[in-house]
Amino acid sequence: MDYGLKPLGREKLWLWLMLVPTIIGLAFGTIGSLLATLGLSFFDWDLINPPTWAGTENYAALFENKNYIEAFMNTLKFSALYVPGVVIISLLLAVLLNRKIRGVGIFRTIYFLPTVTSAVATALVWNMIYGKETGILNFMLETLGFAPICWLCTNNAMMSVVIVNIWGAIGEGMIIFLAGLTAIPRDYYEASSLDGANDFQQFFRITLPLVTPSIFFQTLMSAINAFQAYDYIYMLTRRGQGDSSVPVAVYSIYRNAFHFFRMGDASAQAIQLALLVAVFMAIMFWWERNYVVYE
Amino acid sequence: MKSKLFVLLVIASLMLAACGSKPAAQGSVEITFTMWGAPEELTVWQAVVDDFHKANPNITVKVDVSDWDSYWTKLNTLIAGGTPPDVFAMDAPLFLDWQSRGALLNLQPYIDANPGFLDGFYPQTLTAYKTADGYYGMPRDFQTIVLFYNKDMFDAAGVSYPTGDWTYDDLLAAAKKLTIDKDKDGKIDQYGIWSDTWDMELLWSEAIWSYGGDIISSDHTKTLIGEGGARDAWKFIDSLYKEGVMPTPTTSGEFGFDLFQSNMAAMTSIGHWAVPGYVGAKINFDVAPMPKGPAGQATSVNSAGFVISKDSKNADAAFEFIKFALSEAGQKRLAELGFAIPVLKSVAESDAYLKQLGTLNQQVFLDSIAFARTKPVFKGYEEWAGIVGDGLIPVFDGEAELNATLDELIAAADKVLAANK
Repeated sequence: MDYGLKPLGREKLWLWLMLVPTIIGLAFGTIGSLLATLGLSFFDWDLINPPTWAGTENYAALFENKNYIEAFMNTLKFSALYVPGVVIISLLLAVLLNRKIRGVGIFRTIYFLPTVTSAVATALVWNMIYGKETGILNFMLETLGFAPICWLCTNNAMMSVVIVNIWGAIGEGMIIFLAGLTAIPRDYYEASSLDGANDFQQFFRITLPLVTPSIFFQTLMSAINAFQAYDYIYMLTRRGQGDSSVPVAVYSIYRNAFHFFRMGDASAQAIQLALLVAVFMAIMFWWERNYVVYE
Repeated sequence: MKSKLFVLLVIASLMLAACGSKPAAQGSVEITFTMWGAPEELTVWQAVVDDFHKANPNITVKVDVSDWDSYWTKLNTLIAGGTPPDVFAMDAPLFLDWQSRGALLNLQPYIDANPGFLDGFYPQTLTAYKTADGYYGMPRDFQTIVLFYNKDMFDAAGVSYPTGDWTYDDLLAAAKKLTIDKDKDGKIDQYGIWSDTWDMELLWSEAIWSYGGDIISSDHTKTLIGEGGARDAWKFIDSLYKEGVMPTPTTSGEFGFDLFQSNMAAMTSIGHWAVPGYVGAKINFDVAPMPKGPAGQATSVNSAGFVISKDSKNADAAFEFIKFALSEAGQKRLAELGFAIPVLKSVAESDAYLKQLGTLNQQVFLDSIAFARTKPVFKGYEEWAGIVGDGLIPVFDGEAELNATLDELIAAADKVLAANK
């Protein structure tokens, strides 16, 4: 897999020079803190006294910590709903908005808007939509004669939160898919319609296979976002003092590290989450090798 | 060539700026003081700091105020990074978590060097910071929980104002009369009472004590919130939700949590910190003592305090600052804030505190001390409080059964206590 031109001689020097800031950032910011987290996960550290060796104790504790297990399962459930949701809906949206329809720019802007709006502000708006007493959603339900639903109570909160997160992410997914769709040569559609293929056949036989690089990329990005999801979830489900009805893994890590004096446990949780993302990425790259079509 | 000169100039000016920030005069020290609080608190603290600087020209205090959540994260990071603030604010229940880990300086030598220093304090406010080898912190101001009531709502419903003789049953009866669906659309427009039942401080610790129960064993090994009278207290609190006179936690969230402030609840049990907000919202309110239970009357007393970092390089100056903030002059300034009760009896019983808001019956907050119990202080407090608080919300939202949930939570809470021994 070789792409593009190879840098030569003096260009190489410039290449590295330009990359220096990023490499420093990566080395210290990302890889450095990753290694530090890995190291700390084998220690007990309350941030006040020097860390003490704990061996694999923190990892063993993960399986006994009910709150963490709940948070971890919430993250898994969330990802299982969120990732397919984002990929499928933003792909369909991109297909719809890839046509020559009047005002397509306006529609694209509308769907992209949540991406550039602050999560806190949009979460407040969604709070008004989901509100049990004052919410627009329940007002509509009651007008239609249904019983109101407590959207953000423990039992429904997960679903409600997934919907908001998908809504917030489809704009970005749509852009990725639109780029992928415009790269598909028009000739394929023209040739196939001459052969009598209908819209569905065209979508499943031409569009879908040729947009697989975008599907791969978008699935990977959505999964990473899903495992790190926090802001919308916390803003929608917080109830008073630092509590959330849908605690997710990131939230558990933060709480253990900065509120419960358990940096070691928090690090072990973070490493477990990172491993999960790594495993998922390995599966995705296997899938890429076998199913993704690069022209 | 030009650009090189420019870069040199920039470097030179940066170096000059760095030199400028070093202490100018000899023998002068700068201490840092971080606290949580509202932005308006910074103004008053800046006034305290300025007064202090006038009295002690060689000590400069840098005040830093953050909101509650960021405060603790920031504090942890500063300490982990080896640059702790000299003085920082402490919430009494969390005190042991910090003290037992060796983050705090023992203030006993300073107190011994200042005979009579503790004489003017309310003794209930001091107990939280006392350990076997002396005080590792000082209370700065304190809170007793009282019953706030909206006079307009009581008048409109023809219900007489709460008194010190009310029982929890009286509270429920009045709350029922004050819960009103004004436009008859099946939705409550005015609740009888609003309170927070996540943390113990606002309602549930008071109720448990009044019903004869307790929170935690004195050796901090056993959670007692499921034993004896405590169960009756929980049943009472649950009934406030089940009767619909108190909004569920999720509904409260919809209205910005404090429904008394949004003029949608006729009563609330809360501390003095809420007063400026209620005054700002133009609520016509007054206060009464907490109701009585089968085992008598009880309320909670809790304080915010000062502590000094063990590694502070300017501990002497830091204590001078604390001493000043706890002097009559400092406490009077803080009373202006209206967020809390001064820890100095002489200031709390003076007009500076009692007359700060005209008609509000400030005396109730002071009289409540007579039957107040100190909010429990134990290691692992925040994790323990999280387990209990988070766990009970589904019960109050009507999604889980009270007794079974309590049993489960108590087991988990005891585990936290065991892990924090």
